[in-house]
Amino acid sequence: MSPMQPFVLFDCGLARCAVGRACSNLRELFEAIRTVPEAVLEHHMMRCALEDYFELNEFPNDLARWCWDGLGDHILGEQIGLIDPYQHPTIEALRATLLNTLEDRLWGMERIPWCRPGMELHLVESRLVAYDTGERVPTPAALAEAIERMSIRSLFYHVHEARRRTGGQTDDFSAWLENVDASPTLVTRLRAIDFYFLNLTQLRQALLQVFQQHLPEPTAALPVNA
Amino acid sequence: MNLLERYEEVIGHREMVRLRHLADRLAGRRVVHINSTRTGGGVAEILRWMVPLMNELGIVTRWEVISGSPDFYRVTKAFHNAVQGLPVTLKKADFELHYEVNRENALRMDLDADVVFIHDPQPIYLPAFLGANRVGRFVWRCHIDASRPQRDVWKHLEAAMAPYQAAVFSMAAFARPLACPKFIIPPSIDPLSDKNCPISEAERLETLGRLGIDPERRMLLQVSRFDRFKDPLGVIAAYRLLKPYYRDLQLVLAGGPADDDPEGAEVLREVHEQAGDDPDIKVLMLPPDAHRTINALQRSATVVLQKSLREGFGLTVTEALWKGRPVIGGACGGITLQVHDYHTGFLVHSPAGAAYRIAYLLRYGEKRLRMGRTGHEFVREHFLLSRHLRDYFTMLLCLEHPGNGALIV
Repeated sequence: MSPMQPFVLFDCGLARCAVGRACSNLRELFEAIRTVPEAVLEHHMMRCALEDYFELNEFPNDLARWCWDGLGDHILGEQIGLIDPYQHPTIEALRATLLNTLEDRLWGMERIPWCRPGMELHLVESRLVAYDTGERVPTPAALAEAIERMSIRSLFYHVHEARRRTGGQTDDFSAWLENVDASPTLVTRLRAIDFYFLNLTQLRQALLQVFQQHLPEPTAALPVNA
Repeated sequence: MNLLERYEEVIGHREMVRLRHLADRLAGRRVVHINSTRTGGGVAEILRWMVPLMNELGIVTRWEVISGSPDFYRVTKAFHNAVQGLPVTLKKADFELHYEVNRENALRMDLDADVVFIHDPQPIYLPAFLGANRVGRFVWRCHIDASRPQRDVWKHLEAAMAPYQAAVFSMAAFARPLACPKFIIPPSIDPLSDKNCPISEAERLETLGRLGIDPERRMLLQVSRFDRFKDPLGVIAAYRLLKPYYRDLQLVLAGGPADDDPEGAEVLREVHEQAGDDPDIKVLMLPPDAHRTINALQRSATVVLQKSLREGFGLTVTEALWKGRPVIGGACGGITLQVHDYHTGFLVHSPAGAAYRIAYLLRYGEKRLRMGRTGHEFVREHFLLSRHLRDYFTMLLCLEHPGNGALIV
């Protein structure tokens, strides 16, 4: 039997670039979604999670937030907020879903909603830069402890970015646990977390709760402020 | 204790370790920053901490300054205003002077670097004349809002951009179309600077006493230049709407004159006129180096306002949030990135809106304190120099490894 390979902890950051395009109304948003590079959709629908801080932010992506806050179109904000990009096999498939939602909303509108000056949506693309932190996690119990203290950027890399890398199949934590023959229930429950609809602080708590239910105390204790 | 250890006390050990790991990927690189002054102004403030920190993180970093005649600085000040959309009148000779001063500076510069950051428009033409130097790549760091520049000035600056591999803007909204990539790196505050460091209670009270402010009463504060875009008259109007209900309220408008704005004196006169003989309104004209005074004022405020009608990034908002004060801000520029309703303060669109939100914060003290705590943590995560450095390092790695996919280093 080969020795257990430790979990390799990464951290990451985003290099963000302006694409030189802004939207002031719903029709401009529709045109932008139709034509912008995939990296723009990826940023505003997925990587924006790295920039979200607030636990009470109603929506998990930039486009839903802008429709709600910028355009004041709450119906559309709710609809886009429920589009889970990780349930789409490709960014082009995500683009098609977004366009369909926007077109449906635009279809019967007599007055196109505009944002106030200063509240425009400035489109951005980003590139993820990840690096090995040098930290190695030897056991499932130690992984729970590491999740409690790792940066939210590490959580993003090992959950959100891992789903992108694996075609939506798995996050890095549960993949490693599966490889080291951890409890199949633990693996299944970790993969069942609806991570896209949680901000990264909430995701940390959700992960720790699952660990707490499957690992002996006190190694997977919840943080004091959880 | 070295600088990194001092900053580690603020940002935390783990965050510093992460920053070191990222910097390790760039160890030994030689970086030069070039701007137009070592003292005064936001760029010099940033470079004063950035250069030593980059060195301590293993990136060999120097800071060079170009020099020129007073006439050169008159021209570049006009450029600065024109890039931000203010109308200026310039002659052909002014553009030629800018070009010539850059050439003269380039001839005396001995640059051997992997990356040269050129800050703002003043030294933008240097790369055109640095032929004998061995420079890997040039990056233009634009600290101002370039979204609506005056055309002739922008054309002059754009013509200098061919040697650059990248430009950096503080917000996507501030960027101009350029052939090179336009990275977005928001500014940050230095938590150890005079303006943001912790101060003693004695110093805080001494400052209030010196300025004639009652430390026992609730205080509204706006720190900004006296220009129309900062809407100081709107702040007074909001205060007046509230004063009948909150008799103990004081208002402090603290700032310096806008020397380069011909309307500045007129706005200040209007502010004094509106303030009238109300003893609870203090209009303070502070010198540019009154950092500790501003620090004390921000720490003493019950609510901080930045009721701008047009704004750059709005670092005064960042400073107030860092000090645990909720901010009521005009919905414009970088304020919209920092002020989030019910979390760090409120965005408002009118004096009435400001008054309504101030009343909310005065009434619900516990919510005010909670929003202050959230704002402090929000700044720690997003707008301290550690994030600023992380963004720079991430950008440098992307420039070294061009491509589209995720980069693993």
